[in-house]
Amino acid sequence: MKNSEIEYRLEMTGISKSFGVVSVLKDVNLKVKAGEIHALLGENGAGKSTLIKILSGVHQKDAGAVVLDGQEINPKNTHEGQVLGINVVYQELSLVNDLSVAENIYLHKLGANKIWMNWKSLTQDAQKLLDSLGFTIDASVKVKTLSIVQKQVVEIAKAIAEDTKVLVLDEPTTVFDPNDVKKLFNILSQLKKSGVSIIYISHHLDEIFTIADSVTVLRDGVDTGTMAIENTDKDGVIHLMIGRELNDLYPKRDIKIGDKPVFEVKNLTSKNTLVHNVSFDVKPGEVLGIAGLGGSGRTETAKLIFGADKKKSGTIILNGEEIETNSPVDAAEYKIGLVSEDRKEEGVFLPLSIRRNISVTSFDSISSKLGFINIDNEYKKVLGLIEKLNIKTPHSEIDVKNLSGGNQQKVALAKWLSIDSKVIFIDEPTRGVDVGAKIEIYNLINEVAKKGVGVVVISSDMPEIMGISDRILVMHEGTVYGELAKEQFSEENILRLSIGEPLKKVSI
Amino acid sequence: MALTIKQQLSSPGGILKFLVKYNTIFIFILLVIFSAFISDVFFTSVNLSNLLKQVSGIGIISIGMLLVILTGGIDLSVGSMVALLAVMFAILVNIFILPVAILFTLLLGFGLGSISGYLVAYQKMAPFVATLALMTVARGMSFIYSKGSPVTFTTVGGQFMSNFANNSTLGIPNIAIVFFIIVIMAMVMLRYNVFGRLIIAIGSNEEASRLSGIKVNKYKFLVYAISGALAATAAIIVASRTNLGSPNMGMAWELDAIAAVVIGGASLNGGKGTAINTLMGVLILGLIGNILNLLNVPSYPQQVVKGVIIIFAVLLQKFESK
Repeated sequence: MKNSEIEYRLEMTGISKSFGVVSVLKDVNLKVKAGEIHALLGENGAGKSTLIKILSGVHQKDAGAVVLDGQEINPKNTHEGQVLGINVVYQELSLVNDLSVAENIYLHKLGANKIWMNWKSLTQDAQKLLDSLGFTIDASVKVKTLSIVQKQVVEIAKAIAEDTKVLVLDEPTTVFDPNDVKKLFNILSQLKKSGVSIIYISHHLDEIFTIADSVTVLRDGVDTGTMAIENTDKDGVIHLMIGRELNDLYPKRDIKIGDKPVFEVKNLTSKNTLVHNVSFDVKPGEVLGIAGLGGSGRTETAKLIFGADKKKSGTIILNGEEIETNSPVDAAEYKIGLVSEDRKEEGVFLPLSIRRNISVTSFDSISSKLGFINIDNEYKKVLGLIEKLNIKTPHSEIDVKNLSGGNQQKVALAKWLSIDSKVIFIDEPTRGVDVGAKIEIYNLINEVAKKGVGVVVISSDMPEIMGISDRILVMHEGTVYGELAKEQFSEENILRLSIGEPLKKVSI
Repeated sequence: MALTIKQQLSSPGGILKFLVKYNTIFIFILLVIFSAFISDVFFTSVNLSNLLKQVSGIGIISIGMLLVILTGGIDLSVGSMVALLAVMFAILVNIFILPVAILFTLLLGFGLGSISGYLVAYQKMAPFVATLALMTVARGMSFIYSKGSPVTFTTVGGQFMSNFANNSTLGIPNIAIVFFIIVIMAMVMLRYNVFGRLIIAIGSNEEASRLSGIKVNKYKFLVYAISGALAATAAIIVASRTNLGSPNMGMAWELDAIAAVVIGGASLNGGKGTAINTLMGVLILGLIGNILNLLNVPSYPQQVVKGVIIIFAVLLQKFESK
C-alpha cells in the first residue's frame, strides 16, 4: 500500500441510476478494501447487476461518485474500466467461440498497436496461467470445443490475466460442482493475498459464508448496509434481502379449484438442459406459481412440456391421459399454451398487425377446410379479445411493434386465450410492464383460471407470485426443490428453497 | 378496421405518407406516363402486348420467389429450373399427349423445388446455399438432357402450345393471362388463406411461429416446392413461345425475380411483401427494359439503369419504415 490513509481500495458512494422512469439504484454505497472478498447480495432485480455495470463502465451513473485508490473514476465503457483495473466475469459468458482459449484470454492485447503477434508465447503464457489455476484446459483449442465449466474458467482466467485491482464475479459457480468451487476458492484466496479486491455476487449463501469477508445487501435498489461476515448469519442476510409488504395489486381469489388435476407431469427429464425429475400437477381453476432463481430450469421446464425441447424420460398427462408433445405443434393441438418470457423474440410478431398476431393460433375455428379465412369471423374474434383484454389501440390493424410492453403482452396472451387452452404456461407475465397493465394482466389470469383452465405462472417477482398463486413450486438446479401451500407463502421461504436451503422449522 | 384512403390522406402529413406507402404503384404510374411522353410507339397495342409477353415468364417465377422471400428464404435455382424444365417439357411434349406432358413438367418442378425445401426446412441448410447448389445441378442437367442444343416441338401438342402462347384473348396475350391468374391466386392466398398468413408469420418471427404451434418446417418446405412448380409453369410458357426448350433459357432470371420482389417492397428478412406489389415490381423492371429499347439504348447501359432503379426503390422503402 502506497498510501496508508486510503482505507478502501474502492468506494462507490451515493450511486443512483434510473432507466427511463424506473429507478433501479437509489443512493447506494459500496466500499471494498484491498485484499478483501466482499459479497454483494440481493434478490433478482435488486440492482446488483446495474451497480456492477456502472462500476465497469457499461452504464453511466446518474449521481454519486466512484473512487478507486483515492482517485475519482468515471469509465465511459468497459475498455476504460479494464484499463483502470476493473474486470468483471459476467453471468452470461462473453467468449469468442471461434478463437482459441489463448486468444480469448489475451483478447485485449490482440488489438494493441503491434502488427505481429507472437502466437507461440501467447499460447504458452495462457497455458501457464490456466495450469496455475488448477484446471486442465488446453490453451490452443478453440473455445467452442470446451465444456461450460471450462468456459467459465477461461472467463475467470481472462479477467485475472490483466492487471486487476478490482475483480467482480457475478454468479461464477452456477455451473460448477463442489470440487470446482473449491478450486475457484483457492484461486480467489491467492488473489486476495496479492491485494486484489474481489466483489462476489452469489445466491449461494453457503459460498458467501465460506469465502467472503464482508457483505452488502441490496433490496429494491437501496443498500441495507454493510456488515463484516462474522457479525451476521444466513437468517440475518435473508431477512435483509426481503421485507416488503404485499399490497392490493392482486385480485381476490375465490375460485373453486377442481379435485382432479387437469394436467400432470411425472419425473420429466430433459435431454439437453438441466431439467430433471420434475413432477407436479395443476388442477382446473388453479394458479400454480413456479418460483426459483434465474437458471434454475423454470423456463426450460415449460419449454420441455411445450415440446420446444427434447424429453429424455418422464410422462405428461392431460385430463388423465398420457400425451406426447414432441413439438409445439403437438402441444398446441392438445390446447397447451405457452406465453414466452421473451416477448419480442418468441412471443409476438412485431411487424404484423394485432389481428394477424392474435388469429395465428386460431385458424382452425375461423377458416374453411381449404384454409380460407372467414374474415368477418376473424374480425369478430379479434375485436372481441381486444375489448376483453382492454388492449389500448385505435384499431386492430396497428402493428404490434407500435404498442407498449403491457399491450404487447396482452396480445401474446390473447393468442392462447382465443383457442380455449386447457393449460397455459405464462413465463414472466409482467416483465417490463407498467403497474396499470400489471393489474389488468393479473385479473386476466384470474379470469382464465375461473373458466377451469390450469394456469402455471413462472415469475421471479416474489410479491407477484405470492399474490396470484394458489400454490408455489420452487425450483432449484433443474428440479422442484419444494412446494409451498398458501399459508406457507413468504419471501423467506421461497428464497430459502430457491437457494437449496431447507425451510426453517416452525416453532409451536 | 383498415383506414380508408380518405382518412389516410387527411391525417397530418397524410399525402406524403400515402405516396411513400404505395410508392411502387406510383413509380409504376410515373414510368408509364414518362414512357408515353417519350415514345410514340409505347402506347401501341403491339408494344404493350410485347411487353406483357416479355415479363410473363419472369413474373411467374417472381411470385414463387415472393413466397420464398416472405418466409425469410431465397430461391436461386429458379432461372436454371426454367431451362431444365423447358427442355424437359419439349422432350415430354414430343413423346406424350399434351396434358400428360404439362402435368409431368409441373410435377417435376414441384419435385425439384421439394429438394431445396427439404434441405432448407429439414436439414437446416442455408437457403442461399441449398438453392445455389440446385441452380448448378439444374443448369447442368438441362445441358445433359438437351445434349447442348435446343429441343424443338415436333408434335400437334407442341403446335397447340405454340399457338396458345403467341395468341391473345380479348387483346391480352394468353401467357399474360396465365401470369395475372397466378398473381390473383397469390393475392388471395396471402390475404385470405391460412397458408399465406402462416408463411408471413414465419418470415416475421420464426421462433414465435414455432412456439405458436405452427408447422414451420412444413410451410418452409412447401414454399420451395411451389416455387419449383411455378418455375415449371414459366418454363412451359417460354418454351411454347419459341416452340422449343433450350438449356440457355432463364439465364439470371432468379436475379430479375429477386429484383422485382425487392422493388415491390418485400423485405429479404421475410414477413413483408404483397403479390400486387411484386406484380408492380415485375412491370417496372419490364417497362424500364421496354422504354430503353424503344429509345435504342444498348443493353449494357440498360443493366446500369436497372441497378440504379433497384437502389432507389429500396432507399425509398427505408424512408417508409422510418
